[in-house]
Amino acid sequence: MAMRKLDVRGAKCPIPIVKAKKEIDAMAPGDLLEVTATDPGSVPDFQGWVKTNKNALLRDQRTTKDETGREVYVHVLERKA
Amino acid sequence: MVGSIGIAELLARSDAGEELILLDVRNDEEFAAWRFEPRRPLETVHVPYFEFIEEPDAATARIPGDREVVVLCAKGGSSEMVAEMLASAGRRARNVSGGMLAYGDHLEPVRIRTGAGSELDVWQLNRRGKGCLSYLLRSGGEAVVVDPSRRVEAYLELAAELGAKIVHVADTHVHADHVSGGPELARRAGAPYSVDAGSGFELRRTVRQLADGSAIPFGASAIRVIAAPGHTPGSVLLLAGDRHLLSGDTLFVGGVGRPDLGGDPAAWGRALFATLTRKLAPLPDDTVVLPAHYASVAEIGADGAVSGRLGDLRRDVPEMRIAEERAFVEAMVAGAKPAPAAYERILRANLGLEDAPVESMTEWELGRNQCAASSKAAAGTRGA
Repeated sequence: MAMRKLDVRGAKCPIPIVKAKKEIDAMAPGDLLEVTATDPGSVPDFQGWVKTNKNALLRDQRTTKDETGREVYVHVLERKA
Repeated sequence: MVGSIGIAELLARSDAGEELILLDVRNDEEFAAWRFEPRRPLETVHVPYFEFIEEPDAATARIPGDREVVVLCAKGGSSEMVAEMLASAGRRARNVSGGMLAYGDHLEPVRIRTGAGSELDVWQLNRRGKGCLSYLLRSGGEAVVVDPSRRVEAYLELAAELGAKIVHVADTHVHADHVSGGPELARRAGAPYSVDAGSGFELRRTVRQLADGSAIPFGASAIRVIAAPGHTPGSVLLLAGDRHLLSGDTLFVGGVGRPDLGGDPAAWGRALFATLTRKLAPLPDDTVVLPAHYASVAEIGADGAVSGRLGDLRRDVPEMRIAEERAFVEAMVAGAKPAPAAYERILRANLGLEDAPVESMTEWELGRNQCAASSKAAAGTRGA
């Protein structure tokens, strides 16, 4: 099981979802993708998106601070079988 | 590249009842919390942008094809992508540039009729996305700005257009629903700034004190200051040219200000009752009430302004008809509700206790104001 990371800090929508979809659709089942975003709107966006994407499962969402002290939103996705 | 439409043009066209389809592509949560609200009903379709990413054909098929489609999102990025997808599918589509963020910042200037030969010019700047109202009053070559929003360029530009110098900036109270542009505008205009926090609040700002009964002269006119505790302990009413009452959050066209934000609705409710009865009593029925907020677009009059005749409000606003202090306070206590989400942080910023980055202020300000007391009247004629 591999964990990929996607840094979309500073990007506004639709970039985080467009990039996450590209990754997820190319990943192997069971693999994880950790997306780090700065847009608070990404939290409900990822929740809504996984309902329409048949490959993605939302494992975890958390709010934390990055090394510059900026508030970031981390979304952990799993590629479904 | 797909074409775009600005908020001012979209408001003008949808207010006029033009047949458009508004396609809102934000997520369910954002769509439920805060909507674009023109003065006439606008057919709105809600399809989140990620559905266009996953199933472009199915999503496109859900959009009626008989009219021009304007696409709206939070900041204008996702809507641009969707508008481009629609355009390449042969649809007439345009992107609403800046999205709800631009809608929340947009100020619409409306001139209030003051009668022929009046020395006073009153402009109401309507922040449509928030339901906030601010004012620029002009007499001769001088202007006073009251309750300005954070986008202070609008006031500087309007004053310049009118050939007037801003000589005073005031807030009717320490706002808790939006970050005041007062200190910044005063600094840019080189004018004094006035606000009164009232007892119990630390105010870390340089202000020119406004005593009850004092006057702010400008041009050939003047504003009389009337202390009006209730919504906040330091609230004031500003009476311009003896006829136009900038009523802040004390009195709205459809209700009164909520006295529960300090946590003791009974104490502030008693103060509000005294203000509404004693302080307003000497003012004649034909006083024009110009509030700092409105609850629904239904309160915007045919002339584009939000205003009420004091005599009408005395008759129509339910809380204004309560003659007994006890009954009034009971109604205020019963109507108490939780403070808005970012209330504390906005209050601290406006008191000068905290400096926040612009992005944070923008997040705090999302959505409409909730400054009216909850009652049938404050719920508005349309509910929304």
